[in-house]
Amino acid sequence: MKCYMCALEGKDTDAVSICVVCGMGLCMDHVIREEVEIWEGGFPLPSKKLEKTLPKILCKWCYEAYKSS
Amino acid sequence: MISLKKRCLAELIGTFFLVYIGTGAAIITLLISKGSAPPNAFNIGIGALGGLGDWFAIGMAFGLTVAVLIYAIGHISGCHINPAVTLALWAIKKFPTGEVAPYIIAQVIGASIASFALAASVGMDAVTVGGLGATAPFEGIGYLQAILVEMIGTFLLMLVLMGSAVDKRAAPGFAGISIGFTVAAVITTIGNITGASINPARTFGPYLGDLILGGSNLWNYFPIYLIGPVVGAVLAALIYNYISSE
Repeated sequence: MKCYMCALEGKDTDAVSICVVCGMGLCMDHVIREEVEIWEGGFPLPSKKLEKTLPKILCKWCYEAYKSS
Repeated sequence: MISLKKRCLAELIGTFFLVYIGTGAAIITLLISKGSAPPNAFNIGIGALGGLGDWFAIGMAFGLTVAVLIYAIGHISGCHINPAVTLALWAIKKFPTGEVAPYIIAQVIGASIASFALAASVGMDAVTVGGLGATAPFEGIGYLQAILVEMIGTFLLMLVLMGSAVDKRAAPGFAGISIGFTVAAVITTIGNITGASINPARTFGPYLGDLILGGSNLWNYFPIYLIGPVVGAVLAALIYNYISSE
């Protein structure tokens, strides 16, 4: 699979990842890795934030949509 | 985890709304029935208009508030909003010793502010007619009987809490509805026996408000609403752990 963003710029670059939302192939220059907090537990005990986060691979457009929501 | 200070603030806000909405319903019922002649000494006005329906309405005001608060702040502080629940969770080692006192202090402060807020919202009739929704044993109910009734009511509350929320086998998302229904059911039945506190903070607030604002001094009854709920909740937690284990 090739990087879609690079293809738009007229370049031919191999993709190293896929946007989890839209499925776009992305190279290392165009991939955005978002760290999502994980909370454990809840009522009747306060929930705890786990030290480990959940990685979320996104393209630029989905990342912007994700941040604006 | 969210800081203890913020969690205590969540408990304070939760207990405030529990007491404001719940005891507010009792106060308003007494104000509505003011002037009507109760048919007997077992009837203080709540029940004069709709029989057990009056208590059902009050129970639902408490129960619905508990349910929505569980969804609102359950993940923040645990939404105990009841010292008996905090102590019961501590007794089964689910809640840290160092956080018990701050939680209970926050709950008691929240309940007290709610009682004063009710007096400010409704006026002095809330104190003189409504008694700020304070609980006391009804005509013919003895001290030990009242402790027993409060114990049984809180036992059911804690048993449902254990089964619907603490137990990892519980269906997720139903704790608020289950516990809210339980509170409403318990208050409907035992309301006209002890006032149905099942929560020491819920009784503390109106007692303090009545004392300071010139209402009845009911503090001699406070041990009923401390011993009954705490013993009932701790027993329920211990027994649930026993009956649910393999």
